[in-house]
Amino acid sequence: MTDPTSTPPALPETDHPTSLPDALSLRDFFEALLRRPTDLARHEGGNGAAALRNFGIIAATSMFVFGLVLGTFAYHEQLWAAPLKLGGGLIFAGLICFPSFYIFSCLSGSDASANHLAATLGGMLALAGLLLLGFAPAVWIFTQGTLSFGFMGALAIGSWLIALFFGFRFVITSLKAHGARQTGPILIWCTIFLLVSLQLTTSLRPILGRSERFLTDEKKFFLQHWAESMDQLLPNPDDNTETANSKSW
Amino acid sequence: MFRTQIHPRPDSLSLPGSGGLGRAALTTTVGFAVYGFTVGYWRSPVMGAYVALKMPLLIACTLGCNGVLNGLLGMLLGSNLGFRQSLHALLSAFAISALILGSLAPVTFFLAWNAPPPDSPQAASAHAAYLLTHTALIAIAGLIGVLRLGELLRRHCRSRVIARSTVTAWVAGNAFLGAQFSWILRPFFGSPRLDVAFLRDDPMKGSFYEAVFRSLRHTLGGTDRIAIAVGILGLSLTAFILIRQLQTQSIKHKTP
Repeated sequence: MTDPTSTPPALPETDHPTSLPDALSLRDFFEALLRRPTDLARHEGGNGAAALRNFGIIAATSMFVFGLVLGTFAYHEQLWAAPLKLGGGLIFAGLICFPSFYIFSCLSGSDASANHLAATLGGMLALAGLLLLGFAPAVWIFTQGTLSFGFMGALAIGSWLIALFFGFRFVITSLKAHGARQTGPILIWCTIFLLVSLQLTTSLRPILGRSERFLTDEKKFFLQHWAESMDQLLPNPDDNTETANSKSW
Repeated sequence: MFRTQIHPRPDSLSLPGSGGLGRAALTTTVGFAVYGFTVGYWRSPVMGAYVALKMPLLIACTLGCNGVLNGLLGMLLGSNLGFRQSLHALLSAFAISALILGSLAPVTFFLAWNAPPPDSPQAASAHAAYLLTHTALIAIAGLIGVLRLGELLRRHCRSRVIARSTVTAWVAGNAFLGAQFSWILRPFFGSPRLDVAFLRDDPMKGSFYEAVFRSLRHTLGGTDRIAIAVGILGLSLTAFILIRQLQTQSIKHKTP
């Protein structure tokens, strides 16, 4: 006998009367992620290892391209360092936030398995990555124009916030499709992930500017770092005098 | 032809191969080119020719660079519009603005023809008045284009909220990048003190927003902190709107 209180809530209606194909290709994942996130969350193939792999490919490629675009701000070693830091940083953020994701999803009432949650997290990063890919041409235009770390930092973080907003929306939709009844715990986890990703902009510095070292061992809170770097400029390529202020970003 | 562009059919975005996209692109190009000529004409006819090229180029660069983003936002916000349809919708809005500005071109040409020339003692005040008039006209045409875009999407989307959020996202993204392209492609009006040129020396150097920030700082008496506070306020407002949207989305999906 079925307990009526354990019935998952009804899903929002979609405009797509046809269901997703049983075997989802990379293109299907791409399409479903953008147009039919609810259907994707309910789909058997959207929860397993294949989903995680496909989401991973989409996220990694997108982050790499966006990192490359950010790297064109300073050129030189940042052309390879920035994509590496962005891609690696997000994998790291996903890994350290996954245990809390599992707990908070349980608190929200979701019955999603760890596999499904991993795929959801991958989907969130893939969706955010796709959005960043959309922002990439516009961001590139600004990397070629400005020398201001404050402006470039604000632009990159603004793009990340918007991209992450859609990623979080996917997480909420996906968890609701798996029985989540409360959004409070999910929103708390979203805030935690956001703060982790913002702190990584400081922990993995320099991402925008140049430095002789790949990473810095100086510990700093991200707000302090942003405030200190806001009014600094990238040394002009025509000007050979390196200034110390470029080393912090 | 113009009537169908001003009042597009509700299903115009869904009809593949109807030629609507090409017509909208042609109207946008011609409308902005004709109007652009009158914008630059006051400085010199050569400047008019330059601006006639640069105005359609500004639209093309903005839509080209933001094409992927516009398509993604269209899909993610639930408007059910693909990449091509998003481009079509936006070009339709630009086409309406282009028709309005193009239709006003004889008037603005007359204005340029009658204004004190750039080498006259009244050149500075003439330039200021000219700038103000064109800014007002472009703003009105842009606003009407956006309103028409809103109507078009309202007829196409499931709900008003989806249509409104899609238009807001598109306008914000395109205005943000369009402003930078207008900086790169400057001059448009042609300052009387500067030589006529297609582009300024080193056009990619600097950004529109840094120029605005510098002006803001100058206006505030060189106080960086207030200018930064204004910037932080703007960012906080954006974050607040995003969080509210996220909460609304959660409530909307909440089941009875």
